[in-house]
This record gives sequence, structure tokens and C-alpha cells, in this order.
Amino acid sequence: MGPELHTIHGHRAVETLAAKLRRRQVVGSREAALETVLVLRQVVSRARFSNIQQLIAIIREVGRRLAEAQPKEHTVGNTVRRVLHNIREEANSATKAPSATTSRNVYTISKFVLQGQPRKQTASVPKSEAIATLREDDPDDPDSFARGLKPVLMEAIQDVLDELETVYENVSKNAKDHIHSDEIILTIGHSKTVEAFLKSAAHYRNYTVIVAETGPSYSGHDMARSLSNAGISTFLVPDSSIFAIMSRVNKVILGAHAILANGGLVAVAGSLLAATAAQAHSTPVVVCAGQFKLTPLWNLYHDYGALDFADPSSVLGFEEGKLVERVDVVNPYYDYVGPELVDVFITNDGDHPPSSVYRLIKETYDDDDHEL
Amino acid sequence: MPPKSSSGKEKDIAEEDEVLQAVILADSFNKRFKPLTVGKPRCLLPICNATLLDWTFESLALAGVQEIFVICRSYADQVKAAIRDSKWSKPSTGIKIVPIVTAKETFSPGDAMRDIYTHQIITSDFVLVTGDLVSNVRIDEVVRLHKERRRTNKDAIMTMVVKEAGAAHRTRSRGVSGVYVLDPNTSECLHYEPVLGYPPASHVTVPREILAEHPEVEIRNDFIDCSIDVCSVEVPSLFQDNFDYGDIRRDFVYGVLTSDLLMKNVYCYVAKDGYAARVADTRSYDAVSKDILSRWTFPLVPDDNHPGGHSYEHLRGNKYIPKDNSVSLSRTCKIGNNTLIGPHTTVSENASIHASVIGQRCTIGPGATLHDAYIFDDTEVGAGCVVEGSIIGSRVKLGKGVRVPRGCLIADGVVIGEGARLRKFERISKKRVAPTKSEDDGSDGDDEEDEDSELEEVEEHQEDAPRVLGNNSNALVWPRGSPEDDEDELDDREHYNNLRLMRIGDDASDLELSDAGSTTSSDTETDSEFSSMHALSRTSSMTSASMSLSTADPSARTSAIHTLSSAAAETEFRSEVAQSLERAFAEGHSVENAAVELKTLRMASNVPLRRVREAVVGAIVDRVPLVVGDAAAQRNEIAKTVRRWGPLIDKIGGVDPVETVEVLQYHCAAAGPRQGLFAQMLVALYQQDLVDEDDIRAWHQSPAAKGEGVKHNAALVEGLKKCWDVGAKLLEQLGEDSEEESEEESEEEEAPKAKAQAKAAAKEESESEEESEDGSDGSEESAPSKPAPTQHSAPAPSTSSKPTKAEPESESEEESESEESDTPPAKPTSQPAQPSVPPKTAPAPAAAPMSAPAPSSAAAAATQSATTSVPVGAPSAPASQAKVAKAESSEESSEGSEEGSEEGESGEEEGGP
Repeated sequence: MGPELHTIHGHRAVETLAAKLRRRQVVGSREAALETVLVLRQVVSRARFSNIQQLIAIIREVGRRLAEAQPKEHTVGNTVRRVLHNIREEANSATKAPSATTSRNVYTISKFVLQGQPRKQTASVPKSEAIATLREDDPDDPDSFARGLKPVLMEAIQDVLDELETVYENVSKNAKDHIHSDEIILTIGHSKTVEAFLKSAAHYRNYTVIVAETGPSYSGHDMARSLSNAGISTFLVPDSSIFAIMSRVNKVILGAHAILANGGLVAVAGSLLAATAAQAHSTPVVVCAGQFKLTPLWNLYHDYGALDFADPSSVLGFEEGKLVERVDVVNPYYDYVGPELVDVFITNDGDHPPSSVYRLIKETYDDDDHEL
Repeated sequence: MPPKSSSGKEKDIAEEDEVLQAVILADSFNKRFKPLTVGKPRCLLPICNATLLDWTFESLALAGVQEIFVICRSYADQVKAAIRDSKWSKPSTGIKIVPIVTAKETFSPGDAMRDIYTHQIITSDFVLVTGDLVSNVRIDEVVRLHKERRRTNKDAIMTMVVKEAGAAHRTRSRGVSGVYVLDPNTSECLHYEPVLGYPPASHVTVPREILAEHPEVEIRNDFIDCSIDVCSVEVPSLFQDNFDYGDIRRDFVYGVLTSDLLMKNVYCYVAKDGYAARVADTRSYDAVSKDILSRWTFPLVPDDNHPGGHSYEHLRGNKYIPKDNSVSLSRTCKIGNNTLIGPHTTVSENASIHASVIGQRCTIGPGATLHDAYIFDDTEVGAGCVVEGSIIGSRVKLGKGVRVPRGCLIADGVVIGEGARLRKFERISKKRVAPTKSEDDGSDGDDEEDEDSELEEVEEHQEDAPRVLGNNSNALVWPRGSPEDDEDELDDREHYNNLRLMRIGDDASDLELSDAGSTTSSDTETDSEFSSMHALSRTSSMTSASMSLSTADPSARTSAIHTLSSAAAETEFRSEVAQSLERAFAEGHSVENAAVELKTLRMASNVPLRRVREAVVGAIVDRVPLVVGDAAAQRNEIAKTVRRWGPLIDKIGGVDPVETVEVLQYHCAAAGPRQGLFAQMLVALYQQDLVDEDDIRAWHQSPAAKGEGVKHNAALVEGLKKCWDVGAKLLEQLGEDSEEESEEESEEEEAPKAKAQAKAAAKEESESEEESEDGSDGSEESAPSKPAPTQHSAPAPSTSSKPTKAEPESESEEESESEESDTPPAKPTSQPAQPSVPPKTAPAPAAAPMSAPAPSSAAAAATQSATTSVPVGAPSAPASQAKVAKAESSEESSEGSEEGSEEGESGEEEGGP
């Protein structure tokens, strides 16, 4: 087991974030991911380690603590995995770059299945030469390794942060290729990614958006307001009419809370309804999401508890005393949409079919981090 | 927008500088959880497997509280240890928790507040909660609002958090609740009236000024009192100054709001989002547990943010099973909905658990059935046991086949033998080990002594224990029913019947309650200072006549809620007033001095103005020496007395001539030999300008003057009748006079009275014209009374189509039957007078008819002036928040009000136009 949390420098920030996550004061996948990166940067910058394993143990401990605090915010774990992956890569290239590149050259299909596609490493070669003198576990100066490596690591974390900050632009940069003129698009909920995507397409195309109002949160109302303010012709419809209007819809665009390893996704409640209706009408379903939502998890058994359940007050007012006593109200936050219902994922890293999500995950994270 | 947001930021920064403090009153100051609380404090009882204190801390942490003072009294050491060992004492939580042990003599929250004051720990606005709070309300938002208010109004000392709930809500306390009178615009709490579940309250009294000063009020009886109060620094010092304040709501809030001297404001925060409730009794323990399990407290739910630090998995149907796979569930056991099972618990085959909470390391035997059961840690439930609606402590052993029917409380460590059958609502605790365990620490000594004496008492009543408890039991059965001996000492909230309403599993269906769908009639009852709010329960709605008897019988007129204490106070007051007047008469004080003395007396004993008036009028009448046989001499005597002392009647704090006449009538009618004096007294008063013709007319018109409602006292009725006849004659005479007199003369006559309201003179002229017309009609319909000198206390009498009846100043008990019989429906003649009343100056109090779900009809009824009926028992949501509409209603709506008032009585509200 790794180090105890309270021995880690910066554990105060970790606990604060954990408490916030637990109390749902930090909600939303991107916000959670951003907060996590910031905490990790703080932890890494203050960490004391003399070899890379110590650092990784520290980050894993922090990550485990955060992910346990709020298992429903998958992006917290994803971000930790991503940071671990980047750090390993940097450390590898810094310490044993020459040997690593040679060994990685052997590329077989079996190895790919096990380890994922090797990343291009040519870029890091000159850097690695510059700090090739780094030694792990230097007995004379145990901090020298950390001192030498930290700038590189901070850079690696900064990469993750930059990616998160630019995710909307990158996802929507190809929007005009997906949305054509005079199309009718249906969307549900108020996903920032989808909103940016649609607005970006509106610069080039003239099209119509139908927004389902997405009860009981009615976040669709905000979405419709925002889109129509941007000059897009927008209709707001009740959730119950999704199936009825599906025959006129050219494309369904969904946001995601998390993309699972099997190509399914966890998305705002109502998405399953829209996706199923789309399938019945053979309407393509497009999911817009940042890469940080890729989650190495499976939901093969349609696990009930994997969905999040909010309080019933938006469904049934608390003041309805007699009903509250006799009626059990269930208010799921998310739907699980299976991979067979999705046609394509549009991410900041290109477009992918559901069947290749597993490959993306293998590329993005290291296998040993799946369990934090 | 930008400037706004930047100023918002500045505010945030300013607020961050101050540490947000909270005070937890960890002691409950009552014994509702006995015997579960034998040997441990209530705040350490677990609910959903985390102690109440942990839930409270979590609720406060959610609000960003940085410093918490925990005021503990009983078992302070346990509380301290619990805080020390909990995750909250770790520095990483960012919360500083300071336990404060108060003296053993702290018997009420008020005492605790005085203790806080003496400790001088409070530096700024703070949050005051009880140690049994479960909440996810954004308290920081309430604090922000409170501070904002404080910036403009230094007297806003407190903001109470309340949560809307239906009257029949499981989480709303049936035993102890309150009626809130709010200003819907500012959410200021204008009045608070504590309400007990038993005896059921049917009235609340709302001071007249509130209705006069606020054009719109909400009268709410559907709030859950979350007992979260954001208080200013001066709150503890107010407790210090008023040493008799015990309870925060009943004494402090009520006291502050009704005090003429403090001039402080209390506000309410009606929490729209979020959940907050306190576990004040076993019934709310049940309700709050269920609320937690059905996720109303989200995100404070077992699978998300469990305050005890357990992690549970949420399964379909709100079942919560620990994530660590430590629970062993047999393949054939049944786990029903809304169930929480603690870690390391074993559930054997064929056991069935439904809507229950099972603690850690429990064993549920084969075939056991648990329904609405709450079982603490380390308890064994034997094979085939049946537990329903009960709370079972930790380390309890139930033998095979024990039946625990609903309402039982079984304390820690009890062993119940095989096959025992408990009765409903049994309370069982463990027998003491022969020598009481050596005192580990001195401070616990007192607790134990208390408890010892209590247990000794319990031990005396063990005749039927073996029969109930089965063999090999180590338990004591607590006495059932009400403890007769100390009934009197008990606060009426802790009265047995009231406690029953707060007991788990007790539906109290045998108690007569006004709860659950009581109806109301728009009975009018007005008082010189208080308009009493009637809410007749369904059962009593047909007996409104007998209810209105209270007018005739002064002693019955006291507010229902404080009957006992105020009755005593009034007797004392009456004798005091009599003595004071006696002195004044004897020693020839000036009228002013006598008035001051009376005011002081009234203040001291807190009685309504009417009492004072009764006393003064009575004293004056009794002062008049009886001269038998010489009418002229008698008249002289009366004139002398009235000239000397009459002005006192108007100097006691309010001017209300109609009431004066009525009081005089009642006094003369009751006084036997002085009955004959009535006419002459009335004339004397008239000549002294203490009453004028309209007042007499108004009095004459009121049902009370005819002796209605007085049924039990034939002599009195007789007397009243005679006086009424005398009044009729006098009126006739006056009517003739005015008929004869020319218009100018009548104007002249009005002139002195018009002094007080000079600007209204012109209008009055026109009104008096109509008036005399009406008078000459000779019908019962009386003229619209002219605005009385005290405009503020006479809300829009003339907007009502039955002006005199509904006039708040008149001591009139409105009663529909009589009214309908002797009053023709709204006469068009009275309507032209309406525009003459400036609508804004005349706010009309509202009627909140229970049977009026449609807002329009409620509004229509609301225009009926000065009559407010508030459902106390069970308001349905729309009715309970009946808004008091302004009197600016149009003529149509005045017709509507007519409809509302008449049909409201008969129970079917047809609604206004």
C-alpha cells in the first residue's frame, strides 16, 4: 500500500476537495476534472520523492481518496489516471529514454491488445538527453531526482489542464462537418459541450434545433434559451413527444457524463429515451464529449447503483405530506445508454465509433491504473 | 452586470473575514427518548447508523461553518469524547469544535443561552441549532440574507429557518408547532404563536396592530420548524436580560414579537430547496429516518455522504447495503424497500426486513420479521421475532419468538426472554447492576443520581414485569400512561397526551384533535385589541353559537393557548385594578395619573385592553351612589361622576366607544340593582362626548348587545335585553332629534367629533346624510359608521357591505344565522360610501377559510373586514397561506365578500367573482 494520506504534503487541499465532492459542492464532469488537476498539481509540486514509484504511489493515494469521495464523478478518477500516464511517460523518457524507444519498436498485435498502441516518442528524445543524468534513489542527495524531474512533471500536468480548458473549442472545431444546412437536430439536457458544438456549427450552417425540456431538472429550458440567443432556430418540446417528432429529426446529439469502456455512456436522464427513439427511426446518434470523460469502467449488467439518484423534491414537492409518506419517488440523474444505440463519439481527439472506445482508453491510460 | 458582480465579490470578501460561528444545543432538555437515553445523551443516538451529532456537524459543515460550540449538559464527557474521536476533530476538516459544559442547573435552552452569554464566546452573527438536526439547507445563504438585513435594520436580530410542509406531514411535529404570521414581501415574522397538539388549539390571536400595519400578511401553520436560527450577537444578552425565557420559540420569539418595549424584529427564511428537520421525539426519529432513506436529504444520503463515514451501495428501491461486502444476507431473506443494513450484519434465512434500519454487527435470526424497526448496533434478534414500529437499542438480545409491537422503546443491553410478548408502547430498560457502577468521573455523578431516582421509581412498578418480559430477562418495564404525580410541574408540552403525538407508531386516533382536515367558519370575533382567529374544527363548526359565547363570558375570552396562566394573571389583574381605582377615587388623583397607573398594571400582567376597560367602566358605575326615588338627583350624581372620571375610559390606551357602551351594558346587566343606571350612564357618556350617536347605534346593532351568545345565564340575558331596549329608546330619541334638526345643525353636531379627523369632515357630511337616510328607513341595516378617530385601528369598515357588524372596533361577535336573519344582504345604499375610504389606508385583515381552495374565493372572503379565521389544526396548503388582501377591492368584490362570509359559514364557498 502507498503512503498514508496525512503524510502527503498538500493533503489539506485533497481533503477539502474530497469533502466538496462528497457534499456535491463540486458537480459536473469538467469542473470536477479541473479541480482534480489543480489539486494534483499542488500535490506533485510539494511532493518529496526519490524515485518515480514513490511519486506514483502518492498520486494514486490521492486519486483513490478523491475517487472514493465521489464515485459518481468518473472524471475525477480519469484525470488522476491521465496524470499518472503522462507522468510515467515523462519519467520514462527522462530516465531511460534510449532503451525504452528501442524496446518499444517491437510492435505486435498481441502486445497492442495487452498494452495499447505505443505513443509517438520521437518528440521527447532530445529532452531526455538533456536530463539523462537524473538518477533515481541517489543516496547522497535524495531530493535531486525530484528536483530534476519536477519541471517536466509540472509541464505534463499543465498539458492535462490545457486540454481540459480547451476541450469545448476542440470538440466543436469540426462541427460544420457534422451538421448540414436545413437539418433538424434533437438534443436533450444542457451539456456545455453540445452547446458549444451547436453554436460553432451555427456560424456556417443554418439549421434547426429541437430541445427536449429534460424533466425534472428542466435543464433543456436553459439550453433552448442559450441557443436561441445565439440565433439558432430552436424548439422546446416536452420529453414525452421525443418519439413522436423523431421521424422529422435528422440527427440526435447527446452530451455525456462519462463514456464507458464498452462504448456505452452515462448521460443525463432522458438520453436513453432519445437514443432508443432514434434507433427506432434509424436516426444517427452523435455524442459530443471531451476525452477526459473516457472511463475505464464497464456497465455490462446495467448496474442500477451506477446511476446517480438525486432527491425527490423536483419530482414531488416535500410539502405534499400525505404523498411523501406513501409514495416512493425515484429521481435518477443519469441514464445508461448502451453502445449499440450510439453511432459516433465526437471528441477533442477526433471522431470514433463506439467500438473503438476501448482502444482510446488503452491509449489514454495505463492498464495498472484502472483500479486506483 | 459587471458592477453588480464586483460588489458581490467585495461582499464575499468582507464576509470571509468573519468566522462563521455556530452553537449547537446538544442537550434536549426533555425526556422524550427515555429509556433509550438512559446512560447516554440523546445527541449520540444513531439515526441511519450515524449519531445525531454527526448529522448536525455535517449539516453545519455544508454551510461552511468554521467554529462550532457544542453546549452539553448531561453526559458531557461522552459528548466530548465522541467529538474528540470523530473525524470532525481532525484539523483537515477546517472546523474548530469547542465543547462547552454547562451547569447541571441548565434546564432549558434559555438557560443554555444565558450560559453562552456569560462565556462571551460569540463575536458575530451565529447559527444556533439543536444537536439533533438533519439538514441540507444552505445555511450560509440564510446567514448572508441575515447580514444583508442587518445592514439596513439593526433590530433584525434573528432569522428562523422554516420548511414548508403540509399539515399532515410525517416530519412535521404534531405535538409542538407554531403559527407564523409573516409579511410575504419582507418575510418578517410578525407574530408567532406556539401551538400544542393536545389539547388541540382552536384559536390563535393576532394582535390588531399587525393587521393594521401590514397590508398583506400570511398566516402559516404548515411549517416545519427546523430549529436553525441565525442569531445576532445580542440574542444571548436578551436571554440574559429576560431571565424567564426558557424555550427559544415559545418564550423568546413569542416574547420578542409581542413585547412593546424591545422593538426587535425576527425574520423567517422559508426554505424552498433543501431539507431540514430535527429529531425532537421518537415520531420524528421515524420520519427523519424515512426521509433520509428516501433521499430527501440528498446529498446527505447513506451512499453519498454518510456522516458516520460508512459507505453504502444504493440498490433499487432505496435499499442500502454496505459496499465492503461485510453483510451476510441469506439467500432466502427478503429485504424490502427503504431499508438500511449496517456493516457486518448477518441476516438469516427467511428473515424479512422492511422499511427498517439495522445497525452494525447485528444478527437477525431465521424467520424474523422487521417492519419499521430501528435497531442499533450489536443487537441480536432471535428466530421468529416480530418487531414493528419500534426502536431497539444496542446490545439488546431478543429471545426466540419475541413480539415487539409498535411503539416500543427498548434500551441498551436489555435481554428479553424467549416467547415474550410485549404490549404496545412498552418502554424497557436494563436493570441496574446491584451496586451502581463506580463513578469514573465526578461530573457524571449528578446524571446518575438523577437517573437513579428515576430508575428507583421505575423499579417500584414491576408487578407485571415477569409476565411481560419472559424468562431470563434483565429488564425493567417502565410505567405506562401518564405519570400522575408530577403532572403539574410539567410543561404542558411534555404533558402525556401531547407526548403521545410525538411517539413512534402512535397515531393517537383516540385523542380528540383539531388536526387532519379541520374546517373553519368565517366567524368574526373582534376585540378591542386582538382580533381572535377562529378555526373551528369540523366537529365544532356547527356549534359556532356556543363558541361565540365567549364574548359574553369575559373569563372565557382568554386566548386558548395561554388559558391557564393568563386566567390566573387576569384575576390578579382585576383585583389590582380595583384597588388602584379605589385609591384614585378616594385620594382624588388626576385622571392622567390614574391612567398611567392602569397602563403600568396592564403592561405588567399582559391583559388585553378590554379587561382594563371593563374594570374602569365597572368601577365608575359602582362609584355612582345610588339615589333611590329621585331621578334628577341620581342624574346629577351620575353626571358628576362621569364628568370627573369619564375621560379615564378613553385614556387607558385606546379609544373604542362602542366597546365602552357594550362593557357598560354587560356590567349594568350583571350588577342587578344598578341595572337602572344604564340609561342615565349612557346619556351621561353621550353628553360627555365619550360616545356619540353612531357608536350607540353600532353597539345597538352588534349581536353581543342583544345578548346573543349568552345562553347559560338567564338573568344576564334578561338584563342585557333591558339595556338593549333602553338603548333602542335612546336611539329613537336621538334619531328624532336628528330628523328634526336641519342639516347644518347635524353638521354642527358632528363638528366636535370631526376635530380628530378634520380632513375627513367633508366626506363625513355626505356619509351622515346617508346615515340619516338609512336611519329613517328604520331597517336593521345600519349606516356605514364613520371612520373612527383612531383610523389605524379601524380597517376599512365601510368597505364591507355590513359595515357595523364587521367593524373591528365594535365588540361584535359575528354570527351568520342571526345576521342573515336580521340583516338584508348588502344594500346598495351602503356602497356609494365606499370610494370615500382611501383604499391604502385601510388594510383589511383576511379570512382564511379552510374550505376555500380557490384563490379567488379566498381573496373575496379576505375582503371581509377585520375577520380572520385561521385554521390551526390542518390547513391545506392554499388555505393556510391565504393572503390577506388589501381593502382596495372593488365593489364587486365587496359583494363577493358578502357571499364569502355568508356561504363560508354554511360550509360551501362559492367563490367571489
